[in-house]
Amino acid sequence: MTETQLRSDHSGAATGNGTPVISVRHVRMGYGSRVLLNDASFDVQRGEIMVILGGSGSGKSSLMKIIIGLYPPMAGDILIDGKSMVTGSQKEKAQLQRKLGVMYQSGALFGSLNVLENVRFPLDQFTDLSLPEKNLTARMLLHQVEMGYAESLMPGELSGGMLKRAGIARAMALGCDILLLDEPSAGLDPITAANLDRTILSLRKNLGFTFLVVTHELQSIFTIADRAIMLDPVSRSIIAEGKPTDLRERSTDPRVRQFFNRQPDAVEQKASS
Amino acid sequence: MSMATASGSGSDDGVTVVLQGRITAYTAAPIWQSAVETLIQNPNRPIVVDASRLSYVDDVGIALLFDLIRRERPPDAKVEIRELAPNLAALVRGYNPKDFAAPARGQRRMGVLEHVGFATTEIFAYAKQMAGFLSACARAFRQALTNRGAVNWRDVLDVATEAGANAVPIVLLTGFLMGVIIAFEIGLVAQQFGAVIFVVNGVGVAMLRELGALMTAIVFAGRTGAAFAAQIGTQKVNEEVNAIYTFGLNPIHFLVLPRLVAAMLVVPLLSVLADIVGIFGGALVMATFDVGFLQFYHQLLGAVTTGDFVLGIVKAAVFGLTIAAVGCQRGLATGAGAVSVGLSATSAVVTSIVLIIVIDGLFAVLTS
Repeated sequence: MTETQLRSDHSGAATGNGTPVISVRHVRMGYGSRVLLNDASFDVQRGEIMVILGGSGSGKSSLMKIIIGLYPPMAGDILIDGKSMVTGSQKEKAQLQRKLGVMYQSGALFGSLNVLENVRFPLDQFTDLSLPEKNLTARMLLHQVEMGYAESLMPGELSGGMLKRAGIARAMALGCDILLLDEPSAGLDPITAANLDRTILSLRKNLGFTFLVVTHELQSIFTIADRAIMLDPVSRSIIAEGKPTDLRERSTDPRVRQFFNRQPDAVEQKASS
Repeated sequence: MSMATASGSGSDDGVTVVLQGRITAYTAAPIWQSAVETLIQNPNRPIVVDASRLSYVDDVGIALLFDLIRRERPPDAKVEIRELAPNLAALVRGYNPKDFAAPARGQRRMGVLEHVGFATTEIFAYAKQMAGFLSACARAFRQALTNRGAVNWRDVLDVATEAGANAVPIVLLTGFLMGVIIAFEIGLVAQQFGAVIFVVNGVGVAMLRELGALMTAIVFAGRTGAAFAAQIGTQKVNEEVNAIYTFGLNPIHFLVLPRLVAAMLVVPLLSVLADIVGIFGGALVMATFDVGFLQFYHQLLGAVTTGDFVLGIVKAAVFGLTIAAVGCQRGLATGAGAVSVGLSATSAVVTSIVLIIVIDGLFAVLTS
């Protein structure tokens, strides 16, 4: 296709060519004088599902917040579709942010709006569509994430999995094709987590979304991820990058093998033996 | 990048709507409107939607395409989309029009009568909840009196510092201004009758019996009653209250009693400060009416009694207890989410102020 770049043209595989949709270049990040991550670089290609792995406290969520532009990195640059999120003006940054759909860990739905109104919220703010048109779009998005039945419920009435799925629908509302999900499977039962994984895969297949997912749920990683990077809180760096199955089976790094084989630290092993 | 457009052209066979360019959330509105108008203007003719020139479609564009084919039309006037990318066509066909036939349900709006009925039942329910809460507090108080260590005095001190000591500046300011205003307003009228000296009586009695306690209570309700409701409400939302229950402990002992005790202690103290600065403010104003400080002092001693002062203190303690009880009860009754915390805080302030005025009226009747 030449001009025709329909969103749904993706059949599942990452293209792996052209400008990366997200490019993290030599980023150093932390809080105050405490550095969490040093010289981190990686790219996310269009249509790819990239997972950021790492134990608690390794800076996964912080890295995501820096990519979204909530905080500036201490050093380095973040490029979204080739444009800098760090050095651009506030207006350019806002334009880039609108290309990113973000689902926060708790769903972050607005408590005073029902589910449909939450998903419609970005359309209310940024488009000239009529109310029936916005409602139809929002309801179709809710159907995409298997939440059509819950449109009139308030966030306080939703379970953890429903909050997250509604959060994804809202993140998709402005037509952004890059979705960043913070711990989508955390705290969910296996069936709900598997349903959410299926939703992510179907969104990529049907709508060609690019995903950057922060998680440490092994089952979810092997189900959805094309590629993964792993952060290490001790060396404060990216210690592995590749396909999750390759990392599990071929990595020579003991920290990577320990993570993928779900082994406790050596000291605990001694204590328990 | 080409501009997104929709254009309609008619022939004997039917009408063709050509969609071209990028249809996104930001560009879809005029295209959607134009395409739907074409459908409405040609209710009995078949419509062909030519999608061959579309370059990009996002979620809103997919909704637009679905909206065109889902409309009920006569069998010989159907809408057909042509030249749409197969996977996109499959996606649009994947939605079932029946799922979207019912109008979207927003939040249900209540009518006036329903509002009145709902509010009335809420008042009764609240009165019942409050009665239950006060009886639980009374039991907790009784236990606290008989068991050493039932009240955490460190918590009481912390709450008293935050609610009392930190509120001193605002109480001084409001008390002082209240004294100044009363003296000035009454003074202007009294001057016309040559009765300026009796303004001292008015200022003294009003500050000690009424305004010292009342103004302090209103400031306390806005500042501390709301804070109590918000703090406990947030603890409820974060399940900290549940954690206390699951330890087999009573949250009233941990969260409510220290606040009740602290409020009962600090509101009278703040009220005394308000009385002093209010009377001082009145004395300053009276100096402009040629009533000196010494004359003011002697007139004041003859005008007010210890009973006036004690009544003000007792009222202040009751107000403090009421504000703390309402704030804590609203906090413990908080539902789920940040909105509930806000509602609890607002409700605590409004309910406290209404109750303060009602209680003040009762005191006025009982002590007249």
